[in-house]
Amino acid sequence: MTWNFWRSKSCAFALFAGSAFALSLSIAPAEAQKAEPCIAGSWELTGPLAHTGLAIKMGIDAAVDEINEAGGVLGQKLRVIAYDDQGEPSRAVDNARRIGDRDNCIIMIGGYRTPNALAIRTVLSEMGQPWMGVISAGTRVIEWETGANEWMFRVSMKDRWVAPFLVDHAIQRSKTKKIGFLYEATGWGQGALVDVEATAKAKGIALVGKETFNIADQDMSAQLIRLRDAGADSLVFWGVDREADAILRSMDRIGYKPNIISAWGIGVQLGKTAGQLTEGVVVAGTYAWTGDLSPRAQKVWQRIKASNKLQQPSELVLPSGTANAYDAVFVIAEALKIAGAYDKKKLRDAFYQVKYQGIVANYSPAFEKTAERHDAILPSYYKLLAYHKGILLPIEQTPYAAKF
Amino acid sequence: MGEILQYLLTGLSLGGIYALVALGFFIMWEATKAANFTHGEVYMFGAVATVVLVERGLPFLIAAPIAIAAAAVIGALIERLLVRPFNKEPNAIGWMLTTIAAGIMIESFATITYGPLGRPLHSPLAEHPIRFAGAGIYAQEMLLPIVAVMVMFGLEAFYRRTTLGRAMRAVAFNRTTAGLMGINPNRIALIAYALAAAIGALAGILIAPVVQAAPAMGALIGLKAFGVAIVAGIANARGVVIVGICYGVIEKLIEGYISTGARNAVGFTLMILVLLLFPQGIFGRREVVKV
Repeated sequence: MTWNFWRSKSCAFALFAGSAFALSLSIAPAEAQKAEPCIAGSWELTGPLAHTGLAIKMGIDAAVDEINEAGGVLGQKLRVIAYDDQGEPSRAVDNARRIGDRDNCIIMIGGYRTPNALAIRTVLSEMGQPWMGVISAGTRVIEWETGANEWMFRVSMKDRWVAPFLVDHAIQRSKTKKIGFLYEATGWGQGALVDVEATAKAKGIALVGKETFNIADQDMSAQLIRLRDAGADSLVFWGVDREADAILRSMDRIGYKPNIISAWGIGVQLGKTAGQLTEGVVVAGTYAWTGDLSPRAQKVWQRIKASNKLQQPSELVLPSGTANAYDAVFVIAEALKIAGAYDKKKLRDAFYQVKYQGIVANYSPAFEKTAERHDAILPSYYKLLAYHKGILLPIEQTPYAAKF
Repeated sequence: MGEILQYLLTGLSLGGIYALVALGFFIMWEATKAANFTHGEVYMFGAVATVVLVERGLPFLIAAPIAIAAAAVIGALIERLLVRPFNKEPNAIGWMLTTIAAGIMIESFATITYGPLGRPLHSPLAEHPIRFAGAGIYAQEMLLPIVAVMVMFGLEAFYRRTTLGRAMRAVAFNRTTAGLMGINPNRIALIAYALAAAIGALAGILIAPVVQAAPAMGALIGLKAFGVAIVAGIANARGVVIVGICYGVIEKLIEGYISTGARNAVGFTLMILVLLLFPQGIFGRREVVKV
C-alpha cells in the first residue's frame, strides 16, 4: 500500500515535471529568440560545386567588411561563419542545426542547391531560425505546399518567375514557335519542369520535347536528336556549367544549333570550357559585373578584387549569386536596425519593413507577408546575359540584344 | 539511319574509355589477383596532370608522357603501399578498403589543389566534328576505341613475345611456381600496376579535350570499367575490350531508345543478368584448383 502510494506520487510528480519541461520546450522558440551577431552559411565549399559556395562567400564577406568598417550593426560587429555541406542535403540539415542551436546565429544564409534548401525547411521552422537564400531558386523553397513558411526569405530569383521570363524570350526567338525543354534530373530541374509546363500552357504553346539528363553525363546526343527531330528551334535549359558544356559539344557533333535560353545555373565557367560553342547562348540573371558598373558597385568590385586576388570581373564565376549575397547582407542589416535587437523573431518581423536600395534591386519593401513575397528580387529586375566570344556579358553589350 | 549511327559512334567512343580503363583491371588482376580501386582516379590524374602541365607552358606532346609516367609511378606506389601489404593471404580483401580509401583521398586532394571545376585541354582533333550520314563525331573521340584495340594487341604481343611479358603470364598462371622458377612476383606486380596506371592515364588524356579534365571525372568510369572487366571475365584482354566497347554502345542505345534516366539502371541490370548466366564472365574460364 505504501509502495503503491509513493509510486503513484512519484508518477504524478514525474508527469508534472515532464509536462512542465515539455511546455518550456514548446514555448522556447517564441521566448528564447536572443541571438549572436553572426551570419552563418551552409555552402558548397569543397567538392564539384565548391566554386558556388566561394562565390556566395565573396559577396557576404564584402558586405560584412563594409558594414563592420562603418561600426557594425546595433553597436556590434558581424561575424561570418562558413560551414561546408558539399552540396549534400543531409550535411545542410546538420549545419542548420549547428547554426540555429549551437552557434545561435541571428541568420543562416543558404547555398547553391535547391535540394539542400528544401531539406532544411522543417528544421528551420522547429528552431525558429531565420534563413536567407541567395541562389537556390526552387519555387518550393519559399512557397511551401502547406503555405506555412515563416522563416525562409530569399534575395534571389524564383523559378516560378524565371520560367515565364525564359519561355517568353524563347518564344520571341523562335521562328517556328516550337520550344523544347532540357533540364537536369534533380530537385531543381524537376521543380522547374512544373513551372515551365505551366507557363507554356498559359502562353498557349505546347513544349515539343522535354528531355532530362543526369549530373556528370558527358554526351547528350540522344536527347538532342529527339529534340531536333521534334522540330524544336529554341530550347529552355535548366542545368549547370559542366552538363551545359556536354550539351554544346553534343550539339556541335550532330550539327544542331537551336537558340538556347538558360536559367542561371550556367556562368562564366562555361565560357572558359566551351569557348566559341557558347556564342549566342542567353542566360537569365540578376546582375552582371562585366560592363559598366555604378560607382557603388565599382567600390564593391574593388573590395572583392582585393580580398580574393582577382584580376577581372569576368573571374566572378557566379556574378548574380555574388551580387545577391552582397545585397542580402545589407537587407539583413537594415532589418536588424529596425528590429533594434539581435532577436530572431523581431528580425523576421522587421524584414517586412525593410526598404533598401541595393546593387541588384530597389527593395521597397524587401518582403511582404505573403508566401509569394518572401522573395525580394521581383521579375522586373531579372536580366538577360549572353555569351559573346566566350565571355558572359549583359545582353545589351552583345550582338544578340537586337533579337529580343 | 543518322540517329542509330550517332548512337553507335558515341557509343564506340564511350566504350573505348571503358575498354582502356578495364584493361588496367585485367593487367592488375593477372599479376596479383587483386585490383586497384583508385584506377578511376588514376584515369582522372592523367587528364588533370596534363592540363596543369600544359597550363604551365609545356607542349602537349611533352606534358602527356610526363603525366603518364607520373601515373605509372603512382600505380607502382599504390601496389607497394596499399595492395601488397594487404594481399598476403589467399582470400585477403584488405586491399579493397585501402584502395577505395586512397581513391577518395586522391579525388579530394585534386579538388583542393586543382579546383572543383573542369578545365579544357585543347586538341586540334576536338575542334570540328566529322559529320557524315546525319551523324557526327570528333576525331579525338574515335581515337579511344582505336587506341583500346591497339593497346589490346600490344599487350598480347608483350605477354607472348617479351621475357617480361612471359614472366607476367607465368605469375598469372601460378605465382608460387613462377617464384620457384626465379621470377620475382613482387617485381612483376609492381610493373603490372605501373603499366595499368599508365594505360588508365592515357585514357584520361585522350578524352579530356572532349569532356574537360575535372577531379570528379573518374569515379563512375572506374566503377563501370570494373564491372565491364568482371562481365568480360577479367582474365581475358580481348574479352575486356569487346565487352567494354559493346557496353558503351549499349548505354547509348538505351539512352536513345528507352531514356537517359534508364541508362545506368538498365546497364547494371544487364551486367547482373549476364553474370547470372556466365558466372565466370562471358569470356572467362572456370579456374580449376587442384588440392
